[in-house]
Amino acid sequence: MRKRLVLMPRQNIPFWLNAVSLATGVGLGLTFATALLLTTGVDIEGIINEFILYSFTSQRGLAQTVTKATAFLLVGLGSAVALKLRFWNIGIDGQVWLGAIAAAGVAIHDIGDPSSRLVIMAIAAIIAGSIWVGIPVVLKLKLGVNEVISTLMLSYVAFLIAQHLLYGDWRDPSTSFPVSSGFDVETERLKRIGFGHAHSGIWLALAAALIVSYLMLVNRFGFYLTAIGINPKGAKAAGLPVSIVIVVAVLIAGGLCGFAGFTIVAGQEYRLTQYVVHGYTFSAILIAFLARFNPIAVIPISFIVAGLFTAGDTLKTFYQLPLSLILVVEALILGTVVAVEFLARYKVSLVLKRTHQPSAPVDHNLSGKSNQVVP
Amino acid sequence: MDFFVNWLAAIPAYAAPLLLACLGLITNERAGVLNLGAEGMMACGALAGAIISLTTGWPSLGILAAVIAGAMIALVFAVLTVSLRSNQVVSGLIIVALGAGLTGFLGREYVNKTLPGFYDLDWGGIANAWIIGPILFKQNALTYITLLLGGVAWYVLFRTTAGLKLRAVGEDPATADASGVSVALTRSIAVMIGGAFCGAAGGYLALASSYIWVEGMIAGRGWIAIGLVIFARWNPKYAIVGALLFGAIEALIPRVQATGADVPIYLMMMMPYIATLGVLVLTSLTRNRRSDEPGSLGLPYTRQDRH
Repeated sequence: MRKRLVLMPRQNIPFWLNAVSLATGVGLGLTFATALLLTTGVDIEGIINEFILYSFTSQRGLAQTVTKATAFLLVGLGSAVALKLRFWNIGIDGQVWLGAIAAAGVAIHDIGDPSSRLVIMAIAAIIAGSIWVGIPVVLKLKLGVNEVISTLMLSYVAFLIAQHLLYGDWRDPSTSFPVSSGFDVETERLKRIGFGHAHSGIWLALAAALIVSYLMLVNRFGFYLTAIGINPKGAKAAGLPVSIVIVVAVLIAGGLCGFAGFTIVAGQEYRLTQYVVHGYTFSAILIAFLARFNPIAVIPISFIVAGLFTAGDTLKTFYQLPLSLILVVEALILGTVVAVEFLARYKVSLVLKRTHQPSAPVDHNLSGKSNQVVP
Repeated sequence: MDFFVNWLAAIPAYAAPLLLACLGLITNERAGVLNLGAEGMMACGALAGAIISLTTGWPSLGILAAVIAGAMIALVFAVLTVSLRSNQVVSGLIIVALGAGLTGFLGREYVNKTLPGFYDLDWGGIANAWIIGPILFKQNALTYITLLLGGVAWYVLFRTTAGLKLRAVGEDPATADASGVSVALTRSIAVMIGGAFCGAAGGYLALASSYIWVEGMIAGRGWIAIGLVIFARWNPKYAIVGALLFGAIEALIPRVQATGADVPIYLMMMMPYIATLGVLVLTSLTRNRRSDEPGSLGLPYTRQDRH
């Protein structure tokens, strides 16, 4: 007798199953990533040294990781807020760019009083980031324009704005490189916290994480987000202010990304260069997914992802391996996580094949399907 | 006048890779699978084409390799989206990251090497005929093939049983399933054909546009093609028009630059991206929203999953 695979969507996925699925997915992804690294000539000892010991336990490595984690935490939070709503913000790099540009603009043109310069830079960055995501969200709500493409297109535009400025008006006349002039030491840079290059931006990012956690986990705003994310029509029918919540949440997400741009230029680079923004979009999506859109979980996970990039820098220096390898590692992890989720979402069973279609009652799935949104 | 003729003659070569990717995506999306991985599939195609063309000296083998590479990474996408019913948006982004990351890593030794590629065919004196000559006869072989494929794709999708089944699966998979069409098989094949087309588009960029490979050379064209699919209302006929329009915009940039006119070059380079956004806005303004969109685009299908 022939057998047939039958998939039955589970109505309620128990917590332990979700946890096991996530852990298995991450474990499998790390196994693939390790296998890939082994083929590039890094041995097991090297992998443990760079990815775990150096990035997380050595004084220098940990300081680098904390420095990088600042921006990752902010974009991870932004991504979690937007994705909770199923708003696919793929233009995170663009919003970070615009935040960096706005902050640099304030610094370069000496806007405002020097004593409050940093605050003005931060506010400008937040506004710039939210404008850059504001265009797509308005286009989506008013005209139904797919936000995946609009946010991404604006990302390219943002990068070209930076290029335009760096090869034009903002170029530091004293060098031949396309970089802006440096920020003022006293008034336009975030203070170091006495741990490598780590700067006070990390406190600001953690504060942002607390605020976002309050909004998403305690305040009723978070409840609205969840309801709209699961079923926008149902939320509307229930009388929730759907459009306003979407706009506010997405603007917050963009603002967080813009703010990340501010921490990069004011805390790490001290000037605008072509390389201040790279690879934040996919990292942010990975962070948000692994954290299951929970802002508290975003904190440790963005820290781990930052460690991945610290290891990437070391591999680049000592093994001449490109940073794109880290992108592959990230893609492998997210890939295995979403692949393994299949076993949590569906109950797979073998059923004897009959000549007639079974007329047994079929499980009505009320929850799973409506999560899927056609962008 | 020369400027104008030069520009018109350059358009098809800029339009062809966009059209190739667009045709693949239409095949994909007509079967109900939203493929956001185009950028990654094109990246794989470009590198595979570059490596094979460089090592064998045969650009046609290069294009074949590009097609196979595109189809292979599309197979990963098919496993994720069709077999495992993963979210199609996330799966697409994973493919983009995988494609960009893997090619950046594997292509290190092939950067900036001149590749054996496809050059303009020699049609003799006719190629210099007034205006029409350069436009029709100063093109490479792949461009003609691409245009032909546009017609073929339209015919297969809208005039054959196979195309009808494919569209049925995209429109209403449960009904297609009930009438004996295998949804999973149809979708997997459609995804792989889409990947093959995207791979070819990447191969075209490496072997018939730039003749070199560099990291990130796709530069968002995969995403522009995704936008074009919406503009083209999931129909290859309109995809040809859309690709020519975007080809015209892209072809204009280096030509304006070459005239030495004092225009901000980076602002000009924004045009394709802003145009994509503009076209999406116009499309949603001027027609009954989403009327041509395949009914179950983006939704995984499970037989037991009634709704």
